[in-house]
Amino acid sequence: MSVITDSFRVAWIDFMFIKRNLPTVLVMSLVTPLLYILAFGYGFGAGAKVDGFDYIAFMIPGVISMSTMTSCFNNVAQKVLVQRTYYKSFDELFLCSMKPTAVILGKSWAGMVRSIISCAILYIVGMLLTQDMHLTPQALVIIPLCCLTYALLGVVAGMLANSHLTLGLFTTLVITPMSFLSGTIFSLDSLPDVAQWVLYVLPLSHSTDCIRASVLETSFPWISLCIILIYATAFILISRHLIMKGRN
Amino acid sequence: MDNIIEVKDLVVKFGDFTAVDGLSFDVKEGEIFGFLGPNGAGKTTSIRTITTIQKYVGGSIRIGGYDIEKDYREARKLIGMSQQNISLDKDLTVRQNLKHHAILHKIPRKDIDRLVKETADILELGDYMDKKVCDLSGGWKRKTSIVCAIIHQPKVLLLDEPTAGLDTRSRHMLWDLVGMLNSKGTTIFLTTHYIEEAESLCNRVAIINHGKMVAMGTVDELRDIIGRVTVETTYDDGKHRQEYFKTMEEAKDFVQTIGDRMYNIRRTTLEDVFLVLTGESGGIDDERS
Repeated sequence: MSVITDSFRVAWIDFMFIKRNLPTVLVMSLVTPLLYILAFGYGFGAGAKVDGFDYIAFMIPGVISMSTMTSCFNNVAQKVLVQRTYYKSFDELFLCSMKPTAVILGKSWAGMVRSIISCAILYIVGMLLTQDMHLTPQALVIIPLCCLTYALLGVVAGMLANSHLTLGLFTTLVITPMSFLSGTIFSLDSLPDVAQWVLYVLPLSHSTDCIRASVLETSFPWISLCIILIYATAFILISRHLIMKGRN
Repeated sequence: MDNIIEVKDLVVKFGDFTAVDGLSFDVKEGEIFGFLGPNGAGKTTSIRTITTIQKYVGGSIRIGGYDIEKDYREARKLIGMSQQNISLDKDLTVRQNLKHHAILHKIPRKDIDRLVKETADILELGDYMDKKVCDLSGGWKRKTSIVCAIIHQPKVLLLDEPTAGLDTRSRHMLWDLVGMLNSKGTTIFLTTHYIEEAESLCNRVAIINHGKMVAMGTVDELRDIIGRVTVETTYDDGKHRQEYFKTMEEAKDFVQTIGDRMYNIRRTTLEDVFLVLTGESGGIDDERS
């Protein structure tokens, strides 16, 4: 319990940053996904049906899934990198006797909150645009869980990167392809089996399946939920290892 | 006085490179201890290791009697540190940075506002409390960093190059601050490469080079190593040479032997000691007598 309390102590300053810059934070988190909805939902996919749903109802949960990753990851990875290598304020956390797990979770909370806010707005927009989207208990659990998972991935990347260049490379080579190829804006069923197998190694494919199933009230992919939990645990363990290896 | 920091045979490595090589020293409670060395001597690595944020491969460190390997949480409670690179969140205000440090140190919520105000008042930060850190000058950033480091009232304050990059006025402001904190009972451990800073502030000084201890003691003890009197002689080619002597009489006897060359007899400074012991002559031809 003290780890959770301590993690909120760590997160306090990042919450202050969000509070102080809320309009900017919202604009930065929302413009891209709203453009996706406009361009893909009402441009390319107008009138189309996927898996028995209107394309707009199919893609908005995918865009929410994409947002859980991009918004969390970018925010957390950049913060950790900057605080660790430029501001050196990451060291201060250890000087204040914070446990590594408290630091990892603390750095994740703010990114998670930021992403949850943008997902909530996208969810409301989606429910206004289509009758097929519903607010379900599973969605209320799975969306924050996905946000946490990608925030933890952000911590790992922020710990591993030694400059903005390396972090940018990771984003270009891993995050951007994953955000487009994980069934967010098209159905993975339309791809060859080998491609599907490869893409189902990535966590975002499972997040997309879980979020889409919970929002559209189709059968819930429990295996995908387990895989997300395994990823989240792995990201915590890797971050812990990186912290313990060098004490930062 | 008891030792509040005890370092024995410390070894820190980065891959094959040995940054700190068998360093041993003690810091007494209530003193101002200076750690002098040229760039790359291992000062920052040593201070980071003492504060538990850098791993070491050999030796032992005790803070207030706590072994930092086994009891690092207890040891950390006794120390505050202002790093060489000011480690504040520059997008937030001074007040928010101070509050965050108070929160991280688990100061009860009801006491935080009062403590932040009291500590900030000691260092006259009042007018700057609601300014963003990125809008402050270097001296005020450093002051804020030190207030953050002392907000939990640590027994030992470690300052890594506290005056690096500051103008003269800010440096003097910082020296006053260090003196004031020390007068209230805080032990100060500071690294610097400004020799006059160590000379005027520190009760004892250690000189390190290439990760090894070169000399340690009070400024007078260090001057005794090479001689308390310096004769600076100017040669025909414009070069200067220093000769060091234990007494003024020895120096005067030497002057009789140099013919009509220009010379200057003066008190040996810590800078002379530093240059001789670290071999950092900077173009000056040094010779020990």
